[in-house]
Amino acid sequence: MKLLVFVLNNEEFLEEVLEAYVEAGVTGATILDSEGMGRFLAYEVPLFAGFKEFMKGNRPYNKTILSVVRDEQTIKDVRSLIDPLVGGLDNPGTGIMFTVPIDWVSGLVPEDEEV
Amino acid sequence: MEGICKRLAPECVLLDIQVKDKRSAVSAMANSLATHYSFSNVEELVADILAREQLASTCLGFGCAVPHAHSAGLETTYIGAARLSPPLVDETPDDQPVTLMFLLVGPPGRASLHLKLLSKLARLLHDGELRDKLLGATTQKEFLNSICEKEHGT
Repeated sequence: MKLLVFVLNNEEFLEEVLEAYVEAGVTGATILDSEGMGRFLAYEVPLFAGFKEFMKGNRPYNKTILSVVRDEQTIKDVRSLIDPLVGGLDNPGTGIMFTVPIDWVSGLVPEDEEV
Repeated sequence: MEGICKRLAPECVLLDIQVKDKRSAVSAMANSLATHYSFSNVEELVADILAREQLASTCLGFGCAVPHAHSAGLETTYIGAARLSPPLVDETPDDQPVTLMFLLVGPPGRASLHLKLLSKLARLLHDGELRDKLLGATTQKEFLNSICEKEHGT
């Protein structure tokens, strides 16, 4: 069981990303409003105001999607659906996806009751 | 990790200089860098630094400021320092006049290095013990050594 974290840089893709999650078998996720470190430093910390020009093209706000995924195949399926959707995760400015092992969990819907 | 210590020459530490405004402080530091490292275009450099100041103040508070800029006339990144006496009254977050000023300048293509050094300077200057040492240093070498010791954790 793993925690799948996806920082989606372009919020416009959120609906399609979540559709891909469902298609891949992820039945639940938590969506957080988030913001990149670069934007915060350049716009909120006066010392770094000179770096605003390096923010051009970067989106100020993004979405972070957290989900607990039971099996490896689901993660592979999510990745294969989302990668082309956001323009290739290896390209800068699209998003970051990673997993973290979970050693304990409580509160999940039992697998046999999942929609 | 990129260091302040190895980029700050004792000759570019100006102790207890008297300045009338931010422009003259920046100009004094830029001139000391130009003299020590033998580069020209100081006027252009000062204009770039002051243009950056127009965006937002580079005063950190607790009597410290780090004016900085990218300037097309530079080939590498330089650091200078000044202790102002009397302190310079400027727009600061805590209304404390500026006593310690560090100047960070470099070419436009080295934004990542510039950002790392700027962050490190800000982190070091947040330390009250280091600020006290810098304020009490009697020589340029002592001033620089305090930074090196703090930077290298000795």
